Amino acid sequence: MQIPIERYTLENGLRVVLSQDHSLPIVSLNLWYNVGSRNEVPGRTGLAHLFEHMMFQGSQNVPDTQHIALVERVGGSINASTWLDRTNYYATLPASHLELGLWLESDRLGFYLPALTQEKFDNQREVVKNERRQRVDNAPYGDWDERMQRLLYPPDHPYHHSVIGSMDDLDAATLGDVRDFFRTFYAPDNAVLTLCGDFERDEARRLIDRYFGPIPRGPGVPPLPGRPALDPLHLGREVRETVASAVAVPRIYVAYRGPPYGSQEYYVADVVTELLAGGKSARLYRALVRERRVARAVAAFVLPVVTGAAALILRANVPPGHAPAPVEEALLEELGRLAEQPPAAEEMERALVSVEARRVLELQKVNERADQLSMLTTYFDDPDLINTEMDRYRAVTGDDVRAFVARHLSADNRVVLTYVPAAPAPAAEAE
Amino acid sequence: MREQRVLDRSRPPAPGPLRPFHFPDVRRRRLENGLEVIVAENHAFPVATLDLVLPSGGLAEPEERGGLASLTAGLLESGAGGRDATQIAEAVDELGLALETGISWDSSLVGFTALTSRLEAGMRILADLVIRPTFPRHEVERIRDERLASVVQRRADPASLADELNAHFSFPPGHPFGRRLGGPESTLATLTREDAAEFHAAHYLPAGAWLCAAGDVTLDGVSALAERYFAGWAGAPPPPRAPETEVPFDRTTVILADRPGSVQSEVRVGHVGIPRTADDYFAVTVMNAVLGGIFSSRLNLNLRERLGYTYGASSAFGMRRLPGTFTISSAIQSEGTAHAVSEMLREMRQMQEEPVSDAELADARSYLAGTFPLALQTTDGLAGKLSSMAVYGLPDDYYDTYRDRLMAVTAAQVQDAARRRLMPHRAAVVVVGDANALRGGLDALEIGPVQVIDPSDVLT
Repeated sequence: MQIPIERYTLENGLRVVLSQDHSLPIVSLNLWYNVGSRNEVPGRTGLAHLFEHMMFQGSQNVPDTQHIALVERVGGSINASTWLDRTNYYATLPASHLELGLWLESDRLGFYLPALTQEKFDNQREVVKNERRQRVDNAPYGDWDERMQRLLYPPDHPYHHSVIGSMDDLDAATLGDVRDFFRTFYAPDNAVLTLCGDFERDEARRLIDRYFGPIPRGPGVPPLPGRPALDPLHLGREVRETVASAVAVPRIYVAYRGPPYGSQEYYVADVVTELLAGGKSARLYRALVRERRVARAVAAFVLPVVTGAAALILRANVPPGHAPAPVEEALLEELGRLAEQPPAAEEMERALVSVEARRVLELQKVNERADQLSMLTTYFDDPDLINTEMDRYRAVTGDDVRAFVARHLSADNRVVLTYVPAAPAPAAEAE
Repeated sequence: MREQRVLDRSRPPAPGPLRPFHFPDVRRRRLENGLEVIVAENHAFPVATLDLVLPSGGLAEPEERGGLASLTAGLLESGAGGRDATQIAEAVDELGLALETGISWDSSLVGFTALTSRLEAGMRILADLVIRPTFPRHEVERIRDERLASVVQRRADPASLADELNAHFSFPPGHPFGRRLGGPESTLATLTREDAAEFHAAHYLPAGAWLCAAGDVTLDGVSALAERYFAGWAGAPPPPRAPETEVPFDRTTVILADRPGSVQSEVRVGHVGIPRTADDYFAVTVMNAVLGGIFSSRLNLNLRERLGYTYGASSAFGMRRLPGTFTISSAIQSEGTAHAVSEMLREMRQMQEEPVSDAELADARSYLAGTFPLALQTTDGLAGKLSSMAVYGLPDDYYDTYRDRLMAVTAAQVQDAARRRLMPHRAAVVVVGDANALRGGLDALEIGPVQVIDPSDVLT
């Protein structure tokens, strides 16, 4: 399977990636801005995400509440998300409405500020505070990533705070902050535009030129605040936190710092998570869940972040009424085994086949393909990685795995975050 | 402000030429043992999905064995055809199969998605799981305990608790739809390997079942695989039960579950919905889109964009062979809760009292029609449409004409659907939040009685 790619750069610095696929009459339009919560200054956590909400509140030629409505009314779906390193905006439209999508995206890039009002800002601030309440404050384990980021990255690192931000900082944000944020980061030379799906190449190039060509370059993006480099890479000690909160089942998160996304070792880390908890044949599921039954559910993943250090994270649910310590012990035992001895060839092959199959299944969707192309261009200036990244996984050997686990998954590079039920068990609780 | 050149940006550009869309041809073949193979081809990627779908789901289990259909499906990969759980997991991962087992109220499904080159090897495993599961005792206990733990875990989550209470109060006492599909704790805790083996023997049978295949496959190819690997499998399951479904409340009733200190309230407004085969399916679907089915719906624009009470508000019909659910869902900041509840009920009434505007009607129809193909990008999504056709007896051209039928819905039909299918005066309003803070405001609404409940008294 080979995904076709054409890339070029407009005079104003906007990088464009085109990938045609005529199998369904739909087209995905995907725009990445190279700005995320890592760019926020102290006292303004959550601003990048709050700003993303404001991008849906209209621009000079698009009335309030109409940005999404204009897409929905032609049969398109649209959304956006903010992450540590970036902010992405994406829509999938009927192919005949490609121009509408380009008009909307270019209007909020080129003609945004005149439409900004205090009233819209006050409304979206409340919406975002409610998003925080729903996802973080009122949900069991909802603040795990906020806590984990705080424990894993030092106070002056751009990943120390969460994407959603604190209530205090959201309250303190002003319309002036929104204006400054836009002027600083929302410029064609700080963005990547990808089209994937059913379009004609020449027509698409003409339209992109027409709508995005006249938008001038930005003033240049300031360096990241704080100290984004992590030297040494490792934590240097074990960090532990236990949280008593409104959960019914204890849960453990164990995390390590590792080389960022883009390094060859990152791919090793991803294979390690596959070996540990990718499928039901993986080590943690087999040993902790199926055979020894000390844990109820396990997961392992790497945060694909590019600034300083990525994080390899393990998660396990403890059976209700049981103590978390034996689960932690069993988990670390499995890591110890992998640090001692490389996995057998068949086990490596299973992990790699699973990675490959999952990638192919994901890439069936035009929006997923477009998002990955934008990502690879934003982070590495290399959209072709979508076709060659599997080679990097294939290059990982059993010895690489053992060496990675021994080097990085060590006690002095570990965060252990444990949730335990705060109150006596509710009446409905079993055991 | 940035300068604009010749281009007129002041209005949205006109659409380009419409590009044709057709649902892939649906081809069927019935095998000797009664299993029907249904195929839709899509050769864009070297990928295919094979789903074995049985017409027995949650409704097929005896009431005192709630959760059995789900447990049985979950246990298939715990041992089958001479392999134990670990060997099955290794074989599945070796092939990179995305294996899926699961149930709805109306069906059970065992299937996988894989690269085409691994289809036959996957089929061999699929046949073992469907025909020759062994239900090892220790695995039955383990999976059952996992599920019991997840019941406990869900009840600590206000959103899941609100969903469970909503189902409970939307149906009359004792109705199966009033409990979780995975089973209530009380019956789940009693299930044994014999129960699972018995359910399997009675329901995992080919006559009346379907093999839905989508993607890089052909009818001949899949039929040949099915004949080979499902050879010797025979029998027919009993027809599904059809319990009576009445609306439990004479008037709208507020059920308040206390969660002290909550910074938000999980709100559900629910009642009995419609069967999947209802004659006004398309009108109901468009009506729901206007009310709460899309971002630009009345509920979301009102509660999120106008009032700022929530991150989002939505409504949905859960359709089944029998009348299913209608539910409005939102997480509302505590101070806005009572007002939000009254707005939800008012929006329901307004759908009944006034026809939707031409613009709302046009927008909702074209949203639904335009986004329909998105689900067909993956072989898994396409196979899902085939299994809906199979389980609900929809004709072969159903999805090819689906968009036209949506586009033909009128404002009068939408209003009629709202009058027939929404019950703002007989709804269950579930609120999970801080009862001390909320009680006064909910009483003052005077929409109906307010019952403060302890969920553990209600949910078994």
